[in-house]
Amino acid sequence: MGKKVLVVDDDPDVRLFNTTVVEENGYLPLEAENGEEGLQMIKSEKPDLVILDVLMPRQSGIRLYRELKTNASLRDVKILILSGIAKKTFLRSQQALTEFGENQVPEPEFYLEKPVDADVLAATIKKALG
Amino acid sequence: MKIGKLLFVTKFEDLGYDALKTLLSLRQSGLEHIVFMYVIEREKVSMRRGIGYQRDEAIRLKETANIRFIDWAERLFEQGMEVGVYIQIGSLAAEVAKAVRKEEADLVVIGRSHKTTLEQFYSGSTVSELIRRLPVPVLVYKPVTDNPFVTGTPFQRPLIATDWSPASLRAVEYLLDLAPLIEEVRVAHVADAENIEGSSVMTAQKTRKDAKARLEEICARFQAQGTTARSHVYVGDPETEIERAARECQATMVVLGSSSKNIWVERWLGSTPRKIAENSAFPTLLIPPAIG
Repeated sequence: MGKKVLVVDDDPDVRLFNTTVVEENGYLPLEAENGEEGLQMIKSEKPDLVILDVLMPRQSGIRLYRELKTNASLRDVKILILSGIAKKTFLRSQQALTEFGENQVPEPEFYLEKPVDADVLAATIKKALG
Repeated sequence: MKIGKLLFVTKFEDLGYDALKTLLSLRQSGLEHIVFMYVIEREKVSMRRGIGYQRDEAIRLKETANIRFIDWAERLFEQGMEVGVYIQIGSLAAEVAKAVRKEEADLVVIGRSHKTTLEQFYSGSTVSELIRRLPVPVLVYKPVTDNPFVTGTPFQRPLIATDWSPASLRAVEYLLDLAPLIEEVRVAHVADAENIEGSSVMTAQKTRKDAKARLEEICARFQAQGTTARSHVYVGDPETEIERAARECQATMVVLGSSSKNIWVERWLGSTPRKIAENSAFPTLLIPPAIG
């Protein structure tokens, strides 16, 4: 069975694009439409990689990322951030939350800004999954 | 009452980031999550003879909104706030009601309705529909540039208009919970002119004195929390006099309790909170009969 890749994005068109790229490259795609749903699926499905959007209803990717990285049993889940939100904003946001007293979290290993080319996405997924 | 999550419903021309910035003082009362919402009205992209469903137009509107929201979200994320977004096609009031339920928002902020009087009569005004549907307070925002009298952020110097109804007393309780945000509160009552006309000077003065005493009881509760409060009695048409009071007090917002009238009663007879929300130059906060 191929490795599981969970796509967390509120936009159905983006989910379709991402899951198609995932599937065409031999992985098993899973979907969630917001951070909360994403967290539940990470716990239940234990995906090998999470492709995470940032700006979403219910819970943003910024909070979900923080939740994963501060949870001992989930911090090793590989994450690829794929968002219209700039990487520097993501980093500043995490820094602001740390300044407000929350735990420090590491920088994301993989970050792509939308829109992304299918080849670039596929290559980054392969790199993330080793 | 904590305002932890705010749903900011915009058509962009009515509410921009400058408006949102004036609400960031709510962070002192626990605001940490802002959800942006843009509703593409169905008729803008619906099926048309010879054209069909206007998919390209829907995509254009959606992506334009998305670009704006990304820009706003970046500014808020960098301040350590949580941000969400909804871009939906449908009826504004129905989609807002759905998002409020889904997000469990504590406050809805919306711009003034742009419907004409005739459209409002047939389809109901957006504000009226929202008041009826939502279990949470609705702030009908008016741009400061529209009103030279409004100088400050909405929660800085609110004016509470009370008719002693349960709804307006709930508005008092609501603001008491937000007292740390408030610099000064004014509490006003508009007495019915019919109670004054034709009565003796003594009766008229007694009406004023009784109202003033009841208003002072409310003021005392704010003062006990360290917030400056003053009371005012006006006489005449509530809509006109509340607007006058807000202007004279240099209020930054009018706060009213709203009762949920039957839809047709409201369309024929109107409701004071709805009229003020639609017509006043001041931002208007409407507190529903029961805060959910």
